[in-house]
Amino acid sequence: MNHRGRDRRGPSNSLRALALCTVLALVIAACGSSRRSGNTTGNTGASTPGGTTPIIDTSNCPAGQDSVGVSGNTITLGTSLPESGLYAPFTAILKGERSYFSYLNAQGGVEVPKGSGKKYQIKLVDKDDAYDAARTVTNVNSLINDTKVFSLFNVVGTKNNLGARDTVNSDCVPDLLIASGAVQWGNTKFPWMLGSELVPYPLEVRVFVDYLKKNKPNAKIAVLKANDDFGQSYADTLTELIKGTNLTIVQTQGYDPESSDVKSAVTSLAATNADAFLLGATLLACPNALTAMGDAGWKPIVYMSGTCVSKLLLGAAGKNADGLLTVTPLVDPADPGNASLPAMQLYMQQVKKYSDADATDGIVAYGWTTAALMARILENSPKLTRSSVMETARNFKDGTGIGLELPGATWDTSATDWFLGETFQLITYDATAGHTKKLGPLVNLDGKTAELSPQSLLHS
Amino acid sequence: MTSRRRLQMIGLAASIVALVVLSLIPHLTSATDTQRWAQALYIGMAAMGLNILTGYNGQVSIGHGAFFGLGAYTSALLMHQHGWQFLPTLLVSAPLCFVVGVLIGFPALRVKGLYLALVTLGLAVLFPDLTKHFVHVTGGTNLVALNRTELEPPQWVPTWLSAIGRDDQWAYYVTFALTVVLVIATYLMVRSRFGRALIAVRDHEAAAETVGINAARVKVLAFGLSALYAGLAGSCSVLVDHLANADKVQTFQLSIKFLVAVVIGGAATVIGPLIGAGVIVGLQWFISEVLPRHVGSVGILKRTLGNPAASPAIFGILLILFVFVMPDGIVGGLRRFWTRLMSGRSGAPPPTPAPLTT
Repeated sequence: MNHRGRDRRGPSNSLRALALCTVLALVIAACGSSRRSGNTTGNTGASTPGGTTPIIDTSNCPAGQDSVGVSGNTITLGTSLPESGLYAPFTAILKGERSYFSYLNAQGGVEVPKGSGKKYQIKLVDKDDAYDAARTVTNVNSLINDTKVFSLFNVVGTKNNLGARDTVNSDCVPDLLIASGAVQWGNTKFPWMLGSELVPYPLEVRVFVDYLKKNKPNAKIAVLKANDDFGQSYADTLTELIKGTNLTIVQTQGYDPESSDVKSAVTSLAATNADAFLLGATLLACPNALTAMGDAGWKPIVYMSGTCVSKLLLGAAGKNADGLLTVTPLVDPADPGNASLPAMQLYMQQVKKYSDADATDGIVAYGWTTAALMARILENSPKLTRSSVMETARNFKDGTGIGLELPGATWDTSATDWFLGETFQLITYDATAGHTKKLGPLVNLDGKTAELSPQSLLHS
Repeated sequence: MTSRRRLQMIGLAASIVALVVLSLIPHLTSATDTQRWAQALYIGMAAMGLNILTGYNGQVSIGHGAFFGLGAYTSALLMHQHGWQFLPTLLVSAPLCFVVGVLIGFPALRVKGLYLALVTLGLAVLFPDLTKHFVHVTGGTNLVALNRTELEPPQWVPTWLSAIGRDDQWAYYVTFALTVVLVIATYLMVRSRFGRALIAVRDHEAAAETVGINAARVKVLAFGLSALYAGLAGSCSVLVDHLANADKVQTFQLSIKFLVAVVIGGAATVIGPLIGAGVIVGLQWFISEVLPRHVGSVGILKRTLGNPAASPAIFGILLILFVFVMPDGIVGGLRRFWTRLMSGRSGAPPPTPAPLTT
């Protein structure tokens, strides 16, 4: 029926539709010029543990929202993570978290504040975002406005949390234990966010550089980086840290973070026959890169991003992963040598009880430990309000013996140090045994993240 | 009253009902659902644009996510870095997308069919890289996240348009108004000389040229117009989603989404792409939010239907079924249904079926 139409003859008929569009757009636009002012304010007054000056300023927070998400004896937390798509393996985090909270709830729940005898059950609501930042923002808005969560918990991804950055900070909803080692969570303009115990990416590079300075001071380094802020932070920090040393970067290759296809990039790096190889990559790109490296017959000293520490990913690389260096903030559940630790026994037993996950997978261990860290922060909060919990997280001193945290490590924060995971272990992978091994003592870089980070990232 | 006349009356009535219902959405549903409706509208806008190119003019593009992104980034950057209000940014993003569309349209004159699809695919793949090189905004990424004050409606907007549920109303109504404008524009355009030229060029380019149609001009204009629609949709997405973002998977998926909306709704129909977009957003909501909640804890069901990892597969299967049942889209299917119904009732000889368009 579209072919029928009266046969009109007239000039510029063909552009009529276009003209209509633009004219209407003009009309609408011409009216818009001024800016709406006025916002809802209400001072709820943050509690100040230890009587110090509060870090969290609540003067611009919406009134009457400080206790939202606590009803009766239930605290509702919300998370958003990729449960479908290329990054779906991260669902293992959720399994670890659910196991811990189920275990905790079965014990009666979390006591807030510690010693008060008042226990709360923790309910965790999850939403799938397929790693798409726009969907994360939709999820976060829905969790805040519809589900009415008390706090966000371990939302996965750098961009994903950056997209929600303004919302959580103007709504004064804690965005706690963000699953990203990016340094942007140290930006003092946005105090309602805190990264999890993941080792901040610049610290990983620092450890690698220190290792090379000691073992191969004239090393030529080849770099593989994801073409996003994640990969860039590895590359930028490396450039910064090798200044004044004899270490040099021979080549940097980027890969598409959405495809995990790194073969050509690694083949090109292998041609340089560099002494060292920095893998600023994550998930499947890690085993792919290691395999490509093995195929090319290249045998450098390899440093792999700590985000790839997973039995599954390392197993996929097989013997090509043998001897690589990386860091972890956790005790490796794949190492039978750790089986006697009480924390490990509890973990193994509860994860088997409450989920179908492979308990020896480091990603599950991360979920379990992050959930335990969340419970610990809640316990330490003098009041069960958003501002009080956020204040506690920002000034956290009870950071030992949490979940599968390394014995001897401390995860803490202060008014000047906004990063948790600054004590960690340098490890190497033993392909024959199928698990990682410790290399040297615990690394303690507490309070060092801010100075090691590219300042442009920290304040952007 | 002829069957066609009656169909037009029903169409008019349905449009009025749809307009009334859609204008009440923010008052009937939660902020989250309002946002979801607005997303359906902006996907529909972009699909309407793609429909001009693919449905009416027969040029396939799987790169419209790039034009959408161009519109989104233009609006978002003007608002975030230069303090513009949203509406004036449309004055920049619409012409910009039109011009870029025209520029892409020129090389498209030389490539046809599958080859054109590949060229436009390149566009979708290139665009995120361009933003990565030129845009460093939120946290040093190519993400532009807008804060609440930047998204606020201008002062002259009456509160009944913007008050409830904060700014979602405003985002919804702006998107809704632009959608209505674009529907009317499309309706007028396909009935104009230009619209007939689009179809003539699609159906037989050589024949169209013999009757004096400048095929090259028509095709390039179709590209520009279609990019303009996609750009406006992208601009609206900034208001609705509070950010502009581009990565390869997402830009490509978006492009495919537009194409799917056109095919499901009905190619070369005015309202089809909008309906298609509604179906896509509705299905995705149903699969990822409703289904997992209602399959309960029954083991096998929970692991299949209730598993988010399975949602793309379920979506795919439903799409295939859709295309089997209604090969000419929802609007085409309804039309066929109507003609069959009318011919059955009046006992008159069956009228010639509506032209099958690809």
